Amino acid sequence: MTPRLLFVSVLCCAMLIGCGKRSADKDAMAETAVVAISGDADNLNPVVANTTVASDIASGVYPMMFDVEFDLREGKLKFGPGLVTSWEFANDGKDVILHIRKDVRWEDGMPVTTEDIKFSYELYGDPDVASPRRNYVESMIFTNGKFDIDRSVTIVDDTTMIFHFVKTYPLQLFHLNLSPIPKHVYHNADRRTLRTNPANERAMGAGPFRLEEWVRQQQITLVRNGKAALPYPAKLERVVFRVISEPTTRLTELKKGTVDLMRPVYPEDVKEIQEKNPDIKLITLPPRNYDYIGWMNIDIEAYHNKKVIKPHPLFGDRRVRQALTYGIDRRSILREKLQSYGELAVTDFSPIFRWAINKTLVPYPYDPEKARQLLRLAGWSDSNGDGILDKGGRNFEFTLYYNAGNKRREYVATVVQDNLKQLGIRCKIQAVENIVLYQNIDEKKYDAFIDGFSVGLAIDPSDRWGDVMNPFNTVGFQNSRIAELLKLGLHVQNEREAGPFWMEIQSILHQEQPVTFMYWVKEIVGVNRRLKNTNINTLGITDRMWDWTIGDPNTAMTQ
Amino acid sequence: MFRYIVRRVMSAVPLLFGLLTFTFFIIRLAPGDPTAMYIRGDVDPHYAEQLRATLGLNDPLPVQYVKWLRGVVSGELGTSFSLNDEVVDILARTIPNTMLLTFFALVLNFGIGIVLGVVSALRRGKPVDHLLNVLALFLYSIPEFWLGLMLILGVSLNLDVLPASGIHSPLAQFLPTWEYLWDLMQHMVLPVFVLGVASAAATGRYMRGSLLEVVQQDYIRTARAKGLSEFVVIGKHALRNAMIPIITLFGLSLPFLLGGAVIVETVFSWPGMGKLTVDAIFARDYPVIIACTLVSGVMVIVGNLVADILYAFVDPRIRYG
Repeated sequence: MTPRLLFVSVLCCAMLIGCGKRSADKDAMAETAVVAISGDADNLNPVVANTTVASDIASGVYPMMFDVEFDLREGKLKFGPGLVTSWEFANDGKDVILHIRKDVRWEDGMPVTTEDIKFSYELYGDPDVASPRRNYVESMIFTNGKFDIDRSVTIVDDTTMIFHFVKTYPLQLFHLNLSPIPKHVYHNADRRTLRTNPANERAMGAGPFRLEEWVRQQQITLVRNGKAALPYPAKLERVVFRVISEPTTRLTELKKGTVDLMRPVYPEDVKEIQEKNPDIKLITLPPRNYDYIGWMNIDIEAYHNKKVIKPHPLFGDRRVRQALTYGIDRRSILREKLQSYGELAVTDFSPIFRWAINKTLVPYPYDPEKARQLLRLAGWSDSNGDGILDKGGRNFEFTLYYNAGNKRREYVATVVQDNLKQLGIRCKIQAVENIVLYQNIDEKKYDAFIDGFSVGLAIDPSDRWGDVMNPFNTVGFQNSRIAELLKLGLHVQNEREAGPFWMEIQSILHQEQPVTFMYWVKEIVGVNRRLKNTNINTLGITDRMWDWTIGDPNTAMTQ
Repeated sequence: MFRYIVRRVMSAVPLLFGLLTFTFFIIRLAPGDPTAMYIRGDVDPHYAEQLRATLGLNDPLPVQYVKWLRGVVSGELGTSFSLNDEVVDILARTIPNTMLLTFFALVLNFGIGIVLGVVSALRRGKPVDHLLNVLALFLYSIPEFWLGLMLILGVSLNLDVLPASGIHSPLAQFLPTWEYLWDLMQHMVLPVFVLGVASAAATGRYMRGSLLEVVQQDYIRTARAKGLSEFVVIGKHALRNAMIPIITLFGLSLPFLLGGAVIVETVFSWPGMGKLTVDAIFARDYPVIIACTLVSGVMVIVGNLVADILYAFVDPRIRYG
């Protein structure tokens, strides 16, 4: 055979194989769902994992303590039996007795026991491990400042255990919903290097899926766990999570049908998808993320140099902050950038918590005249006729920082700059790298900035509006009445009892405007109609992933 | 020649050490903290603080430097802050992906570039030359990300003949070897084309200019006067000398073999060194940044050395003692 003939033969074979591949692929894909993700999971050990993707995967691989759902009608979490078959409160609600299923086994056949759960909580609470969910054990028992696992958790037998809290509060069950990991795999693991433990690569769970393959920065493949008893083996053979970082490429894969599920779809792409891609269904998630403009409430120099807290020379006055909110045309930003996929924010209490929302409050309207009036009352006027407001010899000018690359916030910054110019305020805008922005916000170095916040699934504003030193109290806002209300709201046993306290906090925030709450974002998720029985909701896009099936795109979807 | 290579390699060691030390300090002096990304939403508010302690970021800078130095001397490059994996393993995984992409892109670049340059030079002033000049300018001006996205939309989405992203199809791991390789080849076509074609335009321009200069030399006229065929005159005498600037270009391109190409890798979700480096910089993942600098530094040194050695083969006047 001449070399040329050999080359042609090899090429023909390869092309034939290539043609055949498509049908082979089609068969396999009939039992496989593909989820596009923007970045890889940071870790597959739920104790140290920190990304949404990692949580999505953990929910399919690891046993879940409770079957949790978020009831949108009531606006609250509901807990059903999972690994925990039943539970009861004792000792005035400070103790929670859990009864664990006997029949749930890790992939290697070892039973999931109370010892596994206790061991996992020990890791979650160990500062050497540095779990992002260490705050879940904060209301359990500490001895000499260290989390005391033996006093916090009592094992009665293999299937019964008691968690001891120092107080009763609405989030007790939520804080008991951390995924356990197998003690027999990790019991000798070095705590300080747990995040790089080789066992994390093989993620041994007991859920409806097991980890088949993790090709870092490329894809994570989950396969049905035929032995799963919690709740049962997944209905689909496989779910593949593919890393596609570029949004346009991700959307193209969804349109091509090579990806079944992706987030986020941007509002500007919605119309075209609806017109040209009938196979794609768009689902809107209830709002849990909002953007805000932070106005530093305290004098940064005094705070950093003398550790003294006094009002910020520009934004320390409530009337000025109110004027700024009145003076920014938030509705036009919403219309331009989010359309119907957002809503004006009144405070940082998400609309999903319906029962806790103070419905008497309405968003500040765009009212430049009212803004000018408030600024005059606060003593700001253009005394030297240079077009810029001044007070006591100081011009009203500042720099507004936002994260580079975020087009929506870039637009917000330009609108704010323009709106404030009309009030006689000089606002310079500056984009900075994400990580620099976050660090400087955390260290309270900026007078004004645009940032966003994602709220949890249960109401807990103490991180946000508690102590001035709190990392999430980014503007150093202090209010003694809010501090009292937080204590009251977080010490009730029934979540609903906290409603009046939360509503009063909203009234104060609305009045004080510690930040200008901009808008809530309703994230859009794209789903190929061949993927059935999805349960995309506020808990995430992979909730109850084990019920997913693949079917005819033309038949009705469950969701 | 051997002694020359050994001497060059030995002199590279302090250079690399200096480069890494400089990088170590410069990235730590840059604003931004590796744990700042975690001061967000529903994460423990004190998580970043604990993470800093766990990662040893609270140690004074000299202490961190000594620890790092001890690691480097014992061959350890540390653990990635953001990927929670040994840096050596990350490199071992990423470098082959990058080489696969960049090797074929370089072949395309120099293969097409040299041919275009030669054709253009030999047809100087003729319609083919003008056409190739316009084409080269056009290709060279197109931004890579735009070309990449247009090809994804045109070739992958509308024509549906090639995959849009990634190295493999989702279930490629179960395919027989031949089908696996075919799947890989299909995924390589678009990124290799985007990466190679713009560079080929530039290489073609260099080649054209260099060859035009050489064909005007006296010895080429002599060769023609001796009655040698045009093929021998160009192929044997002119091309060899005209290749010298191309070899310099080739040497300078070698770091790209391992350095990767961030834009193409991002657009096509190709998990290579370029994207790894940029992601590490944005995440202030110090160990990964230093490792990527090491790889790039080594490749720059090797590239220059290879170019110098190749000069000796192409240009008989150059001899290394």
